[in-house]
Amino acid sequence: MILQRIFALALLAVCAALAVMAWPYQAAFSYEPVGPRAYPLLMLGLMGLGLLYLVFRPTPIVRKDDEPELDRETLTKISACVGLLIVFASTFEALGFILSSILIGVPMARLYGGRWLHSFIVVACMSLFLYWLFDRVMDVPLPLGLLSVLEN
Amino acid sequence: MDTLSYLGQGFGVALSPYNLVTALTGTLIGTVVGLLPGLGPINGVALLIPIAFALGLPPESALILLAAVYLGCEYGGRISSILLNIPGEASTVMTTLDGYPMARNGLAGVALSLSAWSSFIGALIATCGMVLFAPLLAKWAIAFGPAEYFVLMVFAIVALGGMAGDKPLKTFIAALIGLFLSAVGIDANSGVYRFTGDSVHLADGIQFVVLVLGLFSISEILLLLEKTHHGHQAVKATGRMLFNLKEAASVFVVNIRCGLLGFVMGVLPGAGATLASAVAYMTEKRMAGEKGNFGKGDPRGLAAPETAIGASCCGALVPMLTLGVPGSGTTAVMIGALTLYNITPGPLLFEQQPDIVWGLIASLFIANIMLVILNIPMIRIFTRILAVPNWALVPVIAIITAIGVYAVHATTFDLFLMVGIGIMGYILRKLDFPLSPILLGFILGGLMEQNLRRALSISNGELGILWSSTISLSVWALTISMLTLPLLRIWRKRSLQRRAMADA
Repeated sequence: MILQRIFALALLAVCAALAVMAWPYQAAFSYEPVGPRAYPLLMLGLMGLGLLYLVFRPTPIVRKDDEPELDRETLTKISACVGLLIVFASTFEALGFILSSILIGVPMARLYGGRWLHSFIVVACMSLFLYWLFDRVMDVPLPLGLLSVLEN
Repeated sequence: MDTLSYLGQGFGVALSPYNLVTALTGTLIGTVVGLLPGLGPINGVALLIPIAFALGLPPESALILLAAVYLGCEYGGRISSILLNIPGEASTVMTTLDGYPMARNGLAGVALSLSAWSSFIGALIATCGMVLFAPLLAKWAIAFGPAEYFVLMVFAIVALGGMAGDKPLKTFIAALIGLFLSAVGIDANSGVYRFTGDSVHLADGIQFVVLVLGLFSISEILLLLEKTHHGHQAVKATGRMLFNLKEAASVFVVNIRCGLLGFVMGVLPGAGATLASAVAYMTEKRMAGEKGNFGKGDPRGLAAPETAIGASCCGALVPMLTLGVPGSGTTAVMIGALTLYNITPGPLLFEQQPDIVWGLIASLFIANIMLVILNIPMIRIFTRILAVPNWALVPVIAIITAIGVYAVHATTFDLFLMVGIGIMGYILRKLDFPLSPILLGFILGGLMEQNLRRALSISNGELGILWSSTISLSVWALTISMLTLPLLRIWRKRSLQRRAMADA
């Protein structure tokens, strides 16, 4: 309940900030009655109304049996996973696809309970295979990064 | 008779060897994707969009591929719910109720083939319905002007909330988030940059694939962290693989009834497979009464939701093709794919590009037949895929998702955006917000704004144009009835509670 209220309030604040951001949107010269400002403001307004209702009357969350309560351990794991994804995004071009996916894939497999050696073998093979499949077979260009010296 | 000749032409397109191979690949990929935990039809279709584009598939083949993947995913979800008692997604929850007991009774093979057969009949009924009604609807839809379209989209969004049942307010908020997100980027009419924060990467708006994969794949990866388990032991599929005639005959009436029901539910925007399967199961259970063996492995309890799911999946394509208004999350993704090819779904699609429409319809027939045939020899291989542990699966999902996102624009900005959207999606999921309304809102948002502005340009700012024609008035009436639906439900619940209080 309290989490939901906090979330609704936070989203409400975001809505307000976006509405302020949208206020100066005006076409330099216009030949239509509705400018670029009306639609986003309308949506933000409606969303704000819904969120206000949610702040005062939060709906109970139906919890499924297989979803345990969030504890500290899970939260650390989730932040670690998010961190890995961010590292992935930032090294994707610099290190190249193969190296960066091995770099984050192995720790990620560890997070989900794999063993070091198993994780390494699976992730390394998969990233090589996926590179070959997408870049060579399916023509989806992927960055080679550091490994580009090996090419040719 | 035009329809029949067009359908023949469609089969000509779908039966070309190239498209047959495409459909086969699609069903195979779809089944595997649907089997894996954490990947459903929405991710499956979204991942394939950039790939289909990069492969340089012609539009009709790409659409056939995506439709085949869609059907395959629905089929794959069924395997895990029957053999593991774990529904791959919301729509297959009803399948587990009787499918898993059947598998426990040693009828796993029969249950699987019977469910494939049921869903085939459902899809067949819905496809016939589509052949009959879609052209009519398309003809009628030409009478829609911008004002009518705007009202129709308001209806679609409202119907989504009204149908969602238990949490209308959260559904509305989710849809509004999607509607708002569609406004990010350069405004096509005036050239004003909206909500881009002076970033070049957002000038084009948020890429659809990025939104889908962030919301669904990344948030799913984070959710899987909460329940780390090491693969599952599936019920062994031994013995008879194929149902016999007696079993098929015993569920035939159920098939027909639920097929019709599923088609109607699929056509309605927002209802979709989840609601269709639930309603079908409940109705059949009530009709069987005391005699039924529901919940303990009654074939009818398996056939009912499966037929309804098969029918509603095809039914959902009707509003997408004729009106350009998606009826479900997956069809919203398919519209996203069509726009990549510069094809605007809508009434004119039937006249301008009959090859695409009828080729798609014909390939649905073919993909369904393929799924029934694939089921028998492949089931043992499919069950083995279920044993893949999460630690091997999740990094691969993450890597493939990143490829899918990177393939759109080849910028790492999209990867960061995907992670951000994924975190947002995870939080929303934890707070019990449904995610597919965001997608529908995102797809409808752009169209909605354009139509609203166009309508008001026609009337020179006069709001009256929005309720000036009979079509728009009747759609408004439908919208209002949809709005009162959840209120009525709440009111009824309260009065029941009060009566219970009075009794006690």
